[in-house]
Formats: sequence, structure tokens, C-alpha cells
Amino acid sequence: MTRPAPLAAGISAAAAAGRRAPVLHAEALQLRFGAVAALRDVSLSVAENEIHAIIGPNGAGKSSLLNCLSGFYRPQSGRVYFDGEDITQLRPHRRAAAGLGRTFQGIQTYPSMTARENILTGFHNRMRTGVFGALVWWGRVRAEEEAFTAKAEEIIEFLELEELRHAVVGDLSYGLRKRVDLGRAMALEPRILIMDEPMAGMNPEEKGDLARFILDIRDANRIPVVLVEHDMEVVMDISDTVTVLDFGEVIAVGTPREVRENEAVIAAYLGTE
Amino acid sequence: MLPTGVLFETYSAEAGLLKTARARVAVAALVLALLAAPLATGAYLQGVATHMFITLIAVYGLHVTVGMAGQINIAQSAFVGVGAFATARLSEFGLPFFIVVPVAALVTGAVSVVFALPAARVKGFYLALTTFAAQVLFPIIVLGLPTSWLGGLVGLAVEPLTVAGRPMNTPTHMYYFTLALTLIASYAAFNLHRSRFGRALKAVRDNDVAAEVMGIDVLRHKIMAFFVGSMFAGVAGSCMAWVLQFVTVESFTLFTSVWYLGMLIVGGAYSPIGAILGVAFITLVQEGLHELGTAILRSGAQEAGGAIFAATNIALGACILIALIFEPRGLAHRWQVLKTGLQLWPFPHR
Repeated sequence: MTRPAPLAAGISAAAAAGRRAPVLHAEALQLRFGAVAALRDVSLSVAENEIHAIIGPNGAGKSSLLNCLSGFYRPQSGRVYFDGEDITQLRPHRRAAAGLGRTFQGIQTYPSMTARENILTGFHNRMRTGVFGALVWWGRVRAEEEAFTAKAEEIIEFLELEELRHAVVGDLSYGLRKRVDLGRAMALEPRILIMDEPMAGMNPEEKGDLARFILDIRDANRIPVVLVEHDMEVVMDISDTVTVLDFGEVIAVGTPREVRENEAVIAAYLGTE
Repeated sequence: MLPTGVLFETYSAEAGLLKTARARVAVAALVLALLAAPLATGAYLQGVATHMFITLIAVYGLHVTVGMAGQINIAQSAFVGVGAFATARLSEFGLPFFIVVPVAALVTGAVSVVFALPAARVKGFYLALTTFAAQVLFPIIVLGLPTSWLGGLVGLAVEPLTVAGRPMNTPTHMYYFTLALTLIASYAAFNLHRSRFGRALKAVRDNDVAAEVMGIDVLRHKIMAFFVGSMFAGVAGSCMAWVLQFVTVESFTLFTSVWYLGMLIVGGAYSPIGAILGVAFITLVQEGLHELGTAILRSGAQEAGGAIFAATNIALGACILIALIFEPRGLAHRWQVLKTGLQLWPFPHR
């Protein structure tokens, strides 16, 4: 069992082990809901440019961990560092502004808006137009709208959504809505992308497309991707590092091959005699 | 949906409000008709139209708070009242209207923020109660303040509106003045929809959890939704003050607030077109029944005429019910369906 030692500061185990400095680093997170310990002393280091999968049986604490990373839950103890900065106390929208992009489990797009508008909302923190600019729509506002629509169109092209740019997202299929969700996260121009069960409920073709998009985003933007995923085939295919959680604890960290052969992991998934 | 052959070279041209020649001609014709209308109508109809314009500005504001941001507000009439009282006080200093109107709007916005600070933290039923409190507190506060401040039970006289040194004291004058402000308010309301701020409000309405994670400060935008919605109310209040030339708390009741909401529901809360259609439709029904009642009274059938007047509110309530049951997206959606149908005619499919 490989288990990272608790750390003193925002410097990582990976750096100590001679690897690159981590972009995102969670340290000794403790999260309880009443008597239930959702996370017990969980640490996680995401290195530059890696695809880092978090797996584990149901109730292992995967979503709790993601919610601590994106700011929905505040851990009772432990710290979250992003690019060396302590972000443990930041509210979710401040973390988004800092460069944490996130996609959601299930459908969390804005159903009444078009695909392009959904993606444009992702640029919220990069745009400057305020309330009065919005009411008057003067030249500078128009120029900003022009520039960011062009950027949104780049994402639309990347995700192959051209035909659907003006389609109301509420009318789209599940897989397409997930793609819009991903586009919106890309519009944050994140320095790390966190994805909660991106493959859930997709057919094999959609899974293939999405896996390709994830790899392309990592390669094109040179950012790490953290994903919680149940589809082991996808996890083993695309991830560089896998962290395995069970009952709120990290039971293994390593490459897909290492994790697959780890006895604690096999026991967690299949049970012990 | 756009007709074939309409192409754009820039994204901002694509975001234009009037994208086709036909739309530009139609809106120009409507504005010209509104400008020419006083030539063919008397003081009564001009008064009705003026009242309709003022209502429309207030309902635009409600459309921002309720329709765009999804924050229920049953105190819009109180906010119109704040704008009216602010105008009454400001007019005493002899300030020109182009200063009074924006200041009244900002004052109203600021007052609404006081109520929005707690309101933005609660949802649904509790939010409704919080805004209800704003409506109930409005007369209590106005009457409770020293009479020298807001006139107490008597109210405040408003210095007549002057434009370029000339007093605007006929119904025709007020018709043109409120028409001008309505056109400006319409432009602003449509602008909101295509802007960063408007998208953020709609994101908060559609999915506040996702909006927060996507970097939108949800609490701040809920408060701003009240602020902007109330600025429209403030402008409506200014107009109201100058039209009535006297403001008292009795003009700004819960009943009116509920009617503003009713108009928005009948018209469709999700687009400014809904506000226009809702206000026009309800006003026409109201006035139509009123005319009918008066005509019957004149013909001597007292009881039947009285029944028509009594039935007015029942008929309008029925309109809201019918809208909620059969077309929750309001007349605006019907209008959209009709427009698309006409564009596709005679081929029924895209």
C-alpha cells in the first residue's frame, strides 16, 4: 500500500519524490457529517499535466473529496493548496476565478439558455461589463461581447457543437448537455479541470468522444485533469495516476497498473475472504 | 428563428436587437404610430396610454427580478412608490428631469438593496414573505416618518415637470414624456438579455449551484437583480409622480404589486416581450370591460353595468389562471410560435 505521508506545507510529496510541483494539493482532509466520517486524513497531489483519476466503491468519499476541492464543503481540518496558495477558506466562485474549473455529476447546465450562452457564462470572471454597461450597451461593451463570443466559438468548434450553438440546452440530449457543461468549464480557462463522473450515463460512442476531448484539453491547454469515474476501462485507459478511496481513506495511489495489482484495492472492490 | 439569407459579419451584429429589415420596419412603424397617436385620440385615451407606459416600465423591472433572476418580488408597487416620493422631494429643488429621474432610480435601487440583503439569503416561500414585508412596511414607514419628510397621511405635492423651461402639464405632454422613457427602458431591458450581467442572472435562476462553481457570485447577483429591477420601478415612480402631481401611500398598494406580477405571468416572465404583451393585454381587457360597464350604465341597466364592474377582477384573475394552466410561458411564447409559423409558411417544418 502506498500512502503519502502527511505534509508540513504546500510543498508536495511528489516534489519530494523528485517529480514536478503539484498544481493542486489537498492535505490531511477530515470531513464528517454528524457521526459519519466522509473523509479521514485524505491527502491528494495533482501534478502538472497529469490525468488523475479518483476511484473507489460507492460511499468511499469521492464526491466529498471533489466538493472539498471545489469549495462546496469545508473540511473540519486539513488544507487545500492551489498553485502554492492556501484556498481552504475560499468560496466556490472565488476558486473558479482562481482557476479551478469543474464539471458536474448529472445535468447541471443552464436549461433555458443556448449552448453558446452557457459557454459564455463561463467567461464571467474575465469579462468586465457591469450593470450600467449592460443597460446602455455602449461601444466598449459591444467590443467585449464580440471578443468573448469569438472565444466561445473556439470552444464550440473544439467540442464540435457548431450546429447546436443556438440550440436551447434544455432540449439537447444527455451526452450533448454534458459536452456543453465541459465547454462552460473550459471557458473558465482553468488551470486545472475537475470532473465528477463525466462518463456516467453515456453510451460507448459518447464515452469515446469525451475521453478524446479530455485528452485533447490536457494536451492543448497543458492543464491537469482530476476525474472521479466509475468506468474502469476509461480510468485505466486515460489516467496517469489513480487514487483509490475506501471508507473515506486513501488506500492506494499509483499508476493504473500499480493500482490494479494492489491487494488492498482488490479487497475493497471484491471483498475479502 | 431567422429567415434564410440573413447573414452577419460580426458577432455583435448577430447580437443586434432588430436583425432583419422587416423587424426594423415593424418597430419603426410601431414607434411612428405611437408618436402620431395623440393626433387622433383625446385626453382620456392618452391618459390610459400614459398609465400603460408607466406600468410597462415597472413590469420591465419585475421581469428583471422575477423573470431573469428568478427572485419572486411582491413589493414592486412599493418600490414604484419610493421612486415617486423621491421625485416629489427632488422636484422641490428645481432640478431638471434628466437629473431627477436617474437619482430617483438610484435611490429606489438603494432602498431595494436594504430589503434584498436578507431576501437574497432565502428562497421561495420565505423570499415571498420577505418582499411582502417590504410592501407592508412601505406605508407604515412613510406614515411613521415626520410629516415634513414625506408628507405623512396627506402626501406630497409634486412640482410640475418642466422640459427645456416649459411646463409639461397636459395629458399629451405626459404621453410623450412617458413614451420617451418607455422607449429608453425597453432598450435597456432588451440590452440586459444579451449582456454578461443578464446571462449571470439567468444562470442564477436556472441553476444557482452551478453558477456559484462557475465563478458567479450568486448572493451579489440576487441583490443586484433587486437593485436593477427597482431602478426601473424608480423611473416608473418618477413618471407617476409627475402625472398625478401628488403622491400618497394609497397609490402604491399590495394590490398593484400583485397586478404587476399578474401581467408578467400572462405575458411571459422570460422575455421583455412578455412584459409588453402582458401589460398591453391586461390593460386592454381592463379598459374594455370598463367601457362596456360604462356603456351599459348609460343605457340605464344599472344592475348589469354594476355586475360588469364587479366582474372585472374576476375576468382578470381568470386570465392569469388560464395563462398559468395553458401557457405558463405566457403570451410571449404564443407570439414566438406565431412568428415562426408565419416565417415557415406554407411549409410547416424546418
